[in-house]
Amino acid sequence: MCVSRIILEARDVRYRYPHGVEAVKKVSFHIRRGEKVALVGPNGAGKSTLLLMLNGMLRPDSGNILFDNTPISYDRNSLREIRRRVGFVFQNPDRQIIAPTVYQDVAFGPVNLGYTEEEIKQAVASALRYVGLEGFERRPPHQLSGGEKKRVAIAGVLAMDPDVLVFDEPTSVLDPAGSEDIMELLEELHQNGKTIIISTHDVELAYPWADRVILLRNGEILQEGIPEVAFGDPGLVRKAHLSVPILLELYLELVMRGLARQAKKPKTVLDMINIIEGIRKGSMTGKTDGCGMIRVADVDMLAHGTITEIIADLGITGVGVMGSRAKEHLQKEGIYPDYTYAVIDRSILRGMIGESILIITSGGMVGKVIERVLEFEQETGIRLPAEIIRAPCSPDRSKGDP
Amino acid sequence: MYYELLENIAQQNALRELNPYVKLMVGLGAIILALISSSFVTPLFLAGTLSITLLLIARIDARLYLHLLKAPLVFAIVSVAAIILITGGGEVFWRWQPASFLSFSVTSHSINEGLLVFCRVLGGMSALFFISLTTPMTELFIVMRQSRIPPVIIDLAMFIYRSIFLLMDQVDQIRNAQLMRLGYSSPGEAIRSFGNLCGSVFIASWDAGEDLIRAMDARCYDGRFAMLDQCCPPDGKTLCIAVTYLACSAVLLIMTSSITLV
Repeated sequence: MCVSRIILEARDVRYRYPHGVEAVKKVSFHIRRGEKVALVGPNGAGKSTLLLMLNGMLRPDSGNILFDNTPISYDRNSLREIRRRVGFVFQNPDRQIIAPTVYQDVAFGPVNLGYTEEEIKQAVASALRYVGLEGFERRPPHQLSGGEKKRVAIAGVLAMDPDVLVFDEPTSVLDPAGSEDIMELLEELHQNGKTIIISTHDVELAYPWADRVILLRNGEILQEGIPEVAFGDPGLVRKAHLSVPILLELYLELVMRGLARQAKKPKTVLDMINIIEGIRKGSMTGKTDGCGMIRVADVDMLAHGTITEIIADLGITGVGVMGSRAKEHLQKEGIYPDYTYAVIDRSILRGMIGESILIITSGGMVGKVIERVLEFEQETGIRLPAEIIRAPCSPDRSKGDP
Repeated sequence: MYYELLENIAQQNALRELNPYVKLMVGLGAIILALISSSFVTPLFLAGTLSITLLLIARIDARLYLHLLKAPLVFAIVSVAAIILITGGGEVFWRWQPASFLSFSVTSHSINEGLLVFCRVLGGMSALFFISLTTPMTELFIVMRQSRIPPVIIDLAMFIYRSIFLLMDQVDQIRNAQLMRLGYSSPGEAIRSFGNLCGSVFIASWDAGEDLIRAMDARCYDGRFAMLDQCCPPDGKTLCIAVTYLACSAVLLIMTSSITLV
């Protein structure tokens, strides 16, 4: 694993609210460029307080916050600079959206940063395209759904093109489908090189998503490490008023029964299935061979109406979609995708039991899918062909790997 | 919810995409014509045509439109009744003098005066609804900025506009919570509940204000509110229709200036 530069760091940070308890007690941690970090802890653990210090909204009573290895200073200009580079998405989008129309709200940051009119227009358009809200420019925010409001709030931050994105409880006001959409969006942002920090008390959400987890309780760091380690000690997790992620718990139970021996702890359902398949191989006869197939289509290569034909021609049994642009395209075509979150894993799972899956995505993600499937083949030895559909209606049979 | 309903209609009606200046011109022009008309014919004509436009072209629900008109109509009928009874002059149709200093009468002049006032109210209200049901507030902000109204006022108006919906939500929530626990169940209780409601909403709005400042700071607030985007350009055809409509109304106004009912 390549180690990138530290972008944000907290050194012995303390914070006490004017007439209250000490919310953060001498906390130190660092975040590297391009990392996905989750601050996990119960209510009142100091997560939000800590996050608010990362862009200078709160000033620690003692200790330092460092951005790019320089302590941030709290004069007006430095604060503006840090807030541009560390975008903050509040928990409640209603409290973050300030303008009467979506366009104005997303333009708020760029306008105050002194962009020219042309730059503002471009920043707003690309931010809205990114979160999949093109055409919402003139809508007033109070007419949007919870998920759409959250997206507007995110677009407002993205329009300033920050290096780091901080999300306070990104999914707390959303329904499960909305939460999955937002997590998928975070994944997309991460793929495009943003550093992402979230706070949450949802362990199931943090466990598969994060590169690194920081467990917090009563303003102190209880544990820090990769998710398998941070959540790996049931005693500690209970102490933090949290619960062990269900996959990890299942795995620990299997280990206790001497069933699982694999060193790698499962992070996803796919990992878990692999472990179970491994157990079955040892004790039972028969071996699963992936006789299914995964096909990937680039949404920019598809003419209108071709997806339905492809589904019919190739006997596709399930459709997955990745990325806002692809989702929008499917919506226009009136196709309801089966998988919108953790798409590759779910497609592989289906492929393993002989189904034929079509994944619609765009740009660099096409190659990523193929790469991930090949990785899976190498890891498990299960053969699962994957191909890119190149031209509409005349699928190229060449296998999309080197 | 009422307040949201009006705004929703303005955002979704079929005339939404029309240039706001054209709509404002028609609405304000109609109000002025209705006010300067000396005969009831022109205001009645304006009320009729604008209402038909709202119902058939802008596709506003007829029942809702009637409901909206109800409040001003009731008010107009009461005041017109008073005008008819109190003003005098002309041929006397009916007279009643309960005391030496108090007399009521219905005369030809008072009927004409009452009818004129009633039609003016009707015409003016239709014109006002024509503006408010077809032009969303967000478009009016653009017009305000282009008419050189100081940015401070517009920024404030925009904050207020944005906050109204959030605060009304709060009011609804708190009121429901009170009703569920039998608030407003007796007159005394109602006063107490209302006081509590006001207090809670004040605290909530204070909180919202602090959050607003934080939200603006987090996005590098530098005294500038977001600029507005452009409204749809006026197209020649609708402009022609609007001008013709107002011109026709003005001609009608001149031709019918001496027409009265009795």
